[in-house]
Amino acid sequence: MNKNKYLLMISSLGVFVLLVAAAFSENFLKDWHRIQATATTADGPLDVRLRQIVNPNLNVTDRCVTCHTGMAAGEQITSSLKVGAAHKPVVHSTQEMGCTTCHGGQGQATEMDDAHGNVHFWTEPMLPAKYAYASCGTCHTPLNVPNMPTFENARKTFERLDCYACHRLDGRGGTVRPGGDITGMEGPDLSHAGIKGYNTEWYPAHITKMQQAQDGAWKNLFREVSDEDRAALKIFLDTQMGAPKLIEAKAQFNTVGCVGCHTVGSFGGDAGVNLSISGLKDPNQLNFSRVPGERSVENWIKQHFRSPASTVAGSQMPVMGLSEEKIDLLTLYTLSLRRRTLPDIFLPKDRVRAMRFGYREFASDGATIYSAVCSACHAENGMGTRYPGLVPNPSIANADFLSLASDDYLLATIKAGRPGRPMLAWGERENGLKDEEIKGLIAYIRQLGGGVQAVPDTKPPIWATGDIGTGDRLFTANCSGCHGKGAVGGEGPALANPAFLKAATDTFLVGTITNGRRGTVMQGFANGSPTRPVLTQAEIESIVVYLRSLKK
Amino acid sequence: MQADGNYSALNEFWHNLKAIPREVYRSMFRGGAPKTDRTRSSFVFGNVFLHLHSVRTHLWSLRWSTTAGLGIITTAAFFITLVTGVLLMFYYKPYTDVAYQSIKDIHFIVPTGRYMRNIHRWAANVMVVAVILHMARAFYTAAYRHPREFNWFIGWGLLVTTLALSFTGYLLPWDQLAYWAITIGANIAQSPREITDAMGITEFMDIGGLQREILLGSEVVGAEALIRFYLLHVMILPLVLAGLMAVHFWRIRKDGGLAKPKDADERVADEAKEFYPVFTDQPAKTYQLAAIVKGKTPAVNSGPEHTVPSMPHLFYAELGVLMLTTLICVGLAFISDAPLKELANPLVPENPAKAPWYFLGLQEIVSFSAFMGGIGIPMLCIIGLGLIPFLDREKEGTGEWFGGPGGWRLVKWSIAVGFVSSILVEAFAIRFGWLREWFPDIPQLVITFVNPGTVITAIYAAFSIWAVKRFNSTRAGALALFTCFLAGFIVLTVVGTYFRGPNWDFYWSPSSWPGH
Repeated sequence: MNKNKYLLMISSLGVFVLLVAAAFSENFLKDWHRIQATATTADGPLDVRLRQIVNPNLNVTDRCVTCHTGMAAGEQITSSLKVGAAHKPVVHSTQEMGCTTCHGGQGQATEMDDAHGNVHFWTEPMLPAKYAYASCGTCHTPLNVPNMPTFENARKTFERLDCYACHRLDGRGGTVRPGGDITGMEGPDLSHAGIKGYNTEWYPAHITKMQQAQDGAWKNLFREVSDEDRAALKIFLDTQMGAPKLIEAKAQFNTVGCVGCHTVGSFGGDAGVNLSISGLKDPNQLNFSRVPGERSVENWIKQHFRSPASTVAGSQMPVMGLSEEKIDLLTLYTLSLRRRTLPDIFLPKDRVRAMRFGYREFASDGATIYSAVCSACHAENGMGTRYPGLVPNPSIANADFLSLASDDYLLATIKAGRPGRPMLAWGERENGLKDEEIKGLIAYIRQLGGGVQAVPDTKPPIWATGDIGTGDRLFTANCSGCHGKGAVGGEGPALANPAFLKAATDTFLVGTITNGRRGTVMQGFANGSPTRPVLTQAEIESIVVYLRSLKK
Repeated sequence: MQADGNYSALNEFWHNLKAIPREVYRSMFRGGAPKTDRTRSSFVFGNVFLHLHSVRTHLWSLRWSTTAGLGIITTAAFFITLVTGVLLMFYYKPYTDVAYQSIKDIHFIVPTGRYMRNIHRWAANVMVVAVILHMARAFYTAAYRHPREFNWFIGWGLLVTTLALSFTGYLLPWDQLAYWAITIGANIAQSPREITDAMGITEFMDIGGLQREILLGSEVVGAEALIRFYLLHVMILPLVLAGLMAVHFWRIRKDGGLAKPKDADERVADEAKEFYPVFTDQPAKTYQLAAIVKGKTPAVNSGPEHTVPSMPHLFYAELGVLMLTTLICVGLAFISDAPLKELANPLVPENPAKAPWYFLGLQEIVSFSAFMGGIGIPMLCIIGLGLIPFLDREKEGTGEWFGGPGGWRLVKWSIAVGFVSSILVEAFAIRFGWLREWFPDIPQLVITFVNPGTVITAIYAAFSIWAVKRFNSTRAGALALFTCFLAGFIVLTVVGTYFRGPNWDFYWSPSSWPGH
């Protein structure tokens, strides 16, 4: 029975030792204890205690400042502890916003891997510093962003006109003090002009100042600005929100036609997945088996841009053939799609405008709409794209097409789309493009086609006559190879599409069959070729009559 | 005293003050230090916590091989979960919007909170394992027989309550693991629907749906389920468990202590020699009370042989096991953290969603037939287990490990049959599929009754019937059946735990799961 006595003694001692060891290591040996113990302030050593930033409105309980003590309220760390350094000055109060609102990670954690979110069961790892501007997307929605060429032009205009001489923008410029070298006032900081607004009558005001000035910066540096440049400056200033890289990324996003298939916020197509919160992907839910390199969300997104179908099984997204630089920008923009639900007092102006007042997230000029919505399929130059494995997309900047297609035809097509085909209905009711915007878009498409206007058509929409049977036979013999049996589409567009037949006039159909579209495989049947017979006007009309019969 | 001229109340007060520690001790242990048989006895029966024990304990009961201390381990684990659980309740908030965050706080900033949670989790698992082993011990030593039938019943209730406690605790962290495990558990509760659906009467009599709704308090796992599980976990089930435990312990005493073989006295004779004389002081009482006590009249002037005073022999053993269990729990808690996955998200199903490990055997058969896995076979086991003492009324082998006809040899064969047949049936179903794959239009009722789960059960039943005939003994049948089911439980649990991946497909290891 003595054995039991020893069992009791030994196990009791063991329990005691373990409890003491656990109490000690849990309370005194944590990394943050050691970090704080090495930090010093102006008043001597830092007192070791848990520090946190709490903001219930933002659902923030951030203990990051337990290690990053220099960022805690009222702490001034004097030792050269890197982790204890103070936060760089930023527009928002770190004490109000907390850390995770912008940086992601796990605020409640007090250990590094957990806090940085590099653990298995935390869905939101920290944003890499490289993509820090993506974090603005948590609350903000950049508005008025044009496509890349327009934006680049606007940015260069600002640079070329040397606005930086007097104005500060994102920490750059503002070296000249127009009112006098030292005492004078500097030009307003324009970093947040897009959000906070600016004097839209700045130009007359500048001119007045210039004319009144005797000497100095106003006299010597300021010059008249052309209307065109002023328009560019307006585009540039309207986008400024203190996050230059994010705006650039969004401009890139608005250039490659993503919203033609994907919805962001309240606008976009439904062929691809909704991207509204695609920046909040859970790395644990992603398949990294075909992604070389580290298991990070940004790496996954990049690989997905390089090769969508091999990254996501069954993805219909074509390989866009983008440069690494562009992929990097698009990755930043994708990461910025992390809109959180916020209490009203924290909603920034731009977000309210986008959410409640229907403001566009991209500039609504024809060029930007074309780049943002149409260019993925119809190509940047309007000549249509041909992605491997997918049906070729129509070339809409074709001069033959544009000379036959009236503005009404284009408007109807863009508004109603092609039901059952990738071309969505973009009208205001379906996907939100207003008629004026579509008109701007049509003008841009004509511009892409070399400024070709439609030849005026005085005939009624339906005038062709002929025998349906003949039309059927001729269509099957000559057209169905590309357009499919019954004109349901194949390599060539589907013609038995109610929306198409409604929009297209007989003049359009007859003209297209007669003359073809130069530069495409569709060649005119008025002349024939080694592979195509010559069709008479009556035969062509009978094909049109046959097509009309496919309406139901 | 007051008449005495030298009396000084102040002196008296001073003496009283000095005597406080001694007097407090004396008032607590009125019989004095437990050094003689008499004081040891009064130490036991004068103490509310100890008096469930008899004053003297048979040497057979003190042997490690008799019980392996499994009952005490279970009890100890319960007390450890009780203490750590109460500590966790200080910080845990049972509301869906904050429950997960409160666990994170316990993990990260509550002093030693993480350690307490680890201990709680490990003790809970130790308790589940120990209660199953304890049941196996009671079964294999045939300790359920008359007069202990009712206590076997109570033990069965304790097993179910323990599993229920563990299961309800599973939801509380409100993480993905919890959310989907409880979803699976609730779906198992809903499994009678398979039968009512097949009969087409679900819309009139939806027993499964009702069970699920009673369990969750709602259609889905949500705030109602959380508060319900919390209340069950911290209040109702512990009270039920404590009540059943009290009855269980009381009945051990009333049923004549632990089951002993008939020749236990002879077999402990050698050990008993160490403890003579049995009484440190002569009994000075007559035995008038003996007239109303059952059994033989104790002999005057002679102690109950082969017993030793419970104080200290039994208590050293019990405390030793208690502290050993504590050591195991705090040791495991020191090396391994309790899991906490992502915040529960009803939109992102875990794939595979797995129930707690002790239900994975059930989940494995549920994957073949919801009704059989969720209700049919478990009910068969539970009713069969409860009725064992009434079906086996033989006398041979009570108190002996694997006692009764067939003995260890039969148990060995049963282990082999239990493992081999369940592994073969599982392997067959995994390799070749089952009826639905071969005859897509087969009625579900056929699958309900012919599926790997029922086939394994049928093999076990056939083997036990053979054992009954072969040894002409119901005990032999019980030995065979119990052993087979234990083996089947292990095989199915292991398959469910380690070899089932997304969509409950078979994988050799989690590293070959797609997407990882």
